Amino acid sequence: MVFSSLFFIYIFLPICLLMYLLARNVSMKNWVLIIFSTLFYAWGEPVYIFLMIGTALINYFAGRIIGKYQGKAGDTIATYFTVIYDFAMLGIFKYSGFIVENINALLSSNIPVPDIKLPIGISFYTFQTVSYIIDCHWESVKPQKSFKNFLLYLTLFPQLIAGPIVRYSTIEKEIEDRTISITDVSYGLNRVALGLAKKVLLANQLSIIVDKYLPNIEGITVFGAWFGAIAYAMQIYFDFSGYSDIAIGLGRVFGFHFDENFKHPFICKDVTEFWQRWHISLSTFFRDYLLYVPIFGKRRKYGGLFLVWLCTGIWHGANWNFILWGIYYGIFVFIEMLIGKKNMKKIPIVIRQIYNKIVIIVGFAIFYFEDLGKLGSFFKTAFGFGGNGLIGIQDKITFMNNVYLFAVAIVCCFPIIEGLKKLTDKVFFTKSIASAVTAVCSAILLLLTSVMLVDATTNPFLYFRF
Amino acid sequence: MSEMNNKKDGSQEYVGRYEKKENEYVGRYEKTAEQPLRKLKPLKKATVQPAENAQVASEPKPVPKRPANGQPPKKRPVSPAQAKKQKAAAAKKKAREQAFIRKQKRKERRRNRITNAVAWINVAAVGGILFCGAVYMFAFEHETISNDENRYLAKFPEFSTESYFKGEYTEGIANYFNDTVPNRDFFKKIITNDIMPLKGRKFGDDGVELIGMAVEKKQTATTTTVSTTVGTGTTAETSATETTTTLPKAIDPAVDGEMANNILIANNRGIMIYGGAWGAEKEYAEYVNSYKEQMPKVDVYSLVAPTACSFYTPENYKDLFESEKKDLDSIAKSLKKVTAVDAYTPLLAHKNEDIYSRTDHHWQPLGAYYAAEAFAEAAKVDFEPLDSYKKMTLSNYVGTLYGYSQSTDLLNHPERFVYYKPKDLASLKVTQYNTYFGEPVDAELFNDPANLDNSSYYLVLGTDERIVHVENPKCKNGRNLVIFKDSYGNALLPFLVGSFENIYLCDIRYFNLNAVSFAEEVECTDMLFAMCTYSAVGPNKDYIYWNINQ
Repeated sequence: MVFSSLFFIYIFLPICLLMYLLARNVSMKNWVLIIFSTLFYAWGEPVYIFLMIGTALINYFAGRIIGKYQGKAGDTIATYFTVIYDFAMLGIFKYSGFIVENINALLSSNIPVPDIKLPIGISFYTFQTVSYIIDCHWESVKPQKSFKNFLLYLTLFPQLIAGPIVRYSTIEKEIEDRTISITDVSYGLNRVALGLAKKVLLANQLSIIVDKYLPNIEGITVFGAWFGAIAYAMQIYFDFSGYSDIAIGLGRVFGFHFDENFKHPFICKDVTEFWQRWHISLSTFFRDYLLYVPIFGKRRKYGGLFLVWLCTGIWHGANWNFILWGIYYGIFVFIEMLIGKKNMKKIPIVIRQIYNKIVIIVGFAIFYFEDLGKLGSFFKTAFGFGGNGLIGIQDKITFMNNVYLFAVAIVCCFPIIEGLKKLTDKVFFTKSIASAVTAVCSAILLLLTSVMLVDATTNPFLYFRF
Repeated sequence: MSEMNNKKDGSQEYVGRYEKKENEYVGRYEKTAEQPLRKLKPLKKATVQPAENAQVASEPKPVPKRPANGQPPKKRPVSPAQAKKQKAAAAKKKAREQAFIRKQKRKERRRNRITNAVAWINVAAVGGILFCGAVYMFAFEHETISNDENRYLAKFPEFSTESYFKGEYTEGIANYFNDTVPNRDFFKKIITNDIMPLKGRKFGDDGVELIGMAVEKKQTATTTTVSTTVGTGTTAETSATETTTTLPKAIDPAVDGEMANNILIANNRGIMIYGGAWGAEKEYAEYVNSYKEQMPKVDVYSLVAPTACSFYTPENYKDLFESEKKDLDSIAKSLKKVTAVDAYTPLLAHKNEDIYSRTDHHWQPLGAYYAAEAFAEAAKVDFEPLDSYKKMTLSNYVGTLYGYSQSTDLLNHPERFVYYKPKDLASLKVTQYNTYFGEPVDAELFNDPANLDNSSYYLVLGTDERIVHVENPKCKNGRNLVIFKDSYGNALLPFLVGSFENIYLCDIRYFNLNAVSFAEEVECTDMLFAMCTYSAVGPNKDYIYWNINQ
């Protein structure tokens, strides 16, 4: 089931909210959430739901064992076993086709390529279970004693299929006890409306521009290549951050406080900062669990860095372009590290901005073209060797036809709402007015989004692929 | 636990370091700025304390600490009156403070109440929309058909264990609700009229919009053609065709292959952008030639109709288009023993009449008339003049190009659909067959427009998925015509019924027989290939090949 569908917004969600409202205590509310979350997942994956529940069971028991044999052999064995199991599942279901294909290509062997459908959200929930197990092993969290509560942590439907990767520690206490205030609910609902609007009003419309340009990369002009790539960068941003907004908002409605996943990545001053603002829950996962893994030792800092970026790439998809994409970012982060923070600050801001925007936009182009040949054509076209000229009449028409959409999208990349909030929060009067205005805006956005959804019979979130 | 200890040790170290540093800094500043301040502060306290000594009991706390020193208590002896005053003042102050606190609390409570009230209103507004929407989805009747998309909307799925475990059942339910919103057309009109225009501006004086992209050029592929890149168009459209059943009687633009994804809208007219044949036109000619080779006695004609772009593209945008004329000439050159009918020249001559639809990708019947005239001339058969027909006009026609582009300009500028009925319609015997030429059913030459929505008036001329046989007992020239066509060919039929004894109208895409044996079976003397350039150089041309090899 996708969030940006009328079925979810007007059938699944209202029923779920109503049941949640009627449930008397936290325990009942948790049951409601578990039932609706499993329903939500089973809606798209009636078979793989069992895989997920199996994974939940294994990780739950592993957590118990780790808790029981703290610091002893049982702890270590359970940790290693479960982490390996989790990654093995991810490997089998996500990467086996890719691996076999490459082995075949390399050794010109003829191993049949397994045709396995990717279970929705496996990349996300695997990382959650792994973070839970490692946290238990490091004793930074207490293993959950009740399977019901653990299942709730894993299946909580707002974040189940496309993140953010919520750590167990974040909602550890709230799973067992939480209070929900009306301000929380209103904040949550507004956030949901905002996320839906980002997805439907911006991302979906930007995707039409992208579809005009990037698929015919050989035939477009220099302007077309950049216009398409910028539109694509913004499409992915609004798509994914919109999803995170919905997840965070729904979480808040149910009384959970998830961490932010995006902090206006496009306003970054360098590539390193971009990754501190983009898909934060993923980068912090790698930072916490991979970068400082002792296998590299302290001296091999760069080895860890390389591994992190390789994994970031692979995580996004079983394809060479994603691996290339990860390493591409790794190289720039590495260069920035070599230059050093202080020296980076000495470079004029204009140059830094131009540099990081070009790197980011080209990065999204790498992300887009799964066919490396086409990616080559993109580079040719974008840097003026495509032979189709700088700008054509069709570019001018398309640009004018979408000029307001494009302008609004760019403006929305900046922290406008946060800025306004800061300004109005100073005085109670303006703060109240602002929240009233927010209510009206949310209602309007929700209505607009709903009307737009009547026409778009299906438009799955892009991050479902991962 | 050992880790924790380490951390503690570490932090202690750090605290130590910072303390040292702070001390250093304090030292430095003392020399310059801080020293005078420090001197001033005690001075102030000294001057203030004596003056307020009696009233200000605000600093009694340091007092009890100091008695150990000895000196301050000496000042203690106070007269009873003064003590009273002090007490009263203290009480007053306390009361004032309490009142202030109470006021603050009240203020805070009031503020909380306002904040909560706003939050409640907010929740009521957004939640209200959610719940009202839910009621709306359940209580109102769902749509079953979409007229401007020409398709049946999704149906509620039937349950089976297999479909459930494939995920089709659940997906079907969601799809049903997403696809069949009550008053769907009303909402779609809002999107087209009020929301989509907000995206940008029209370009230039002609009010130009571009749907899809001008196609890639310079491709010389022979098998795949450039002009009809199905699948890269607006995502909503293509996905809609994937998930839902197509209306059997209708043209489905995305699947049809006779329509481009790329549409220019200028002066309230939609024009498909022709991307060129790039060699595919020769393949078409080859296929048609092979019909002639297998049926040497039959006269074979090829009538490839240009589309609106050849006549109505504004001068400024000609660069976006490839020349249809060039490809038509190339086809004519490549045909062997097959007569090429030139429809381009007569159509160009009548450019100022309404020969093409503005909102639909077809020609108007009038355009077909001029093309049919050219064919009749080439085939040397009689041809009825236009005034012998009964002119029929249907208004408010908004055709396929709107359905595809969702352009406001097209929606708000409907056109007239004009067609021509032969006067002696009653004497014609019309039979429809299935695609295997079986199950004959008596039919009318024209569909009744009363049964059609005004977005599909084009269907008044007939449907694509049936083979149509028209017998004209009045005509005695011994000529039997088989037409292999796309939907452009439908419009030709009414103008040719007077010229042949029998006409068999077959759509190349819906034909399940061997074309040659079919022609023999119906004693075909003349065979006409009639289709638009998109079909002739696009994927549809492959049907011509298959139909002779099946």
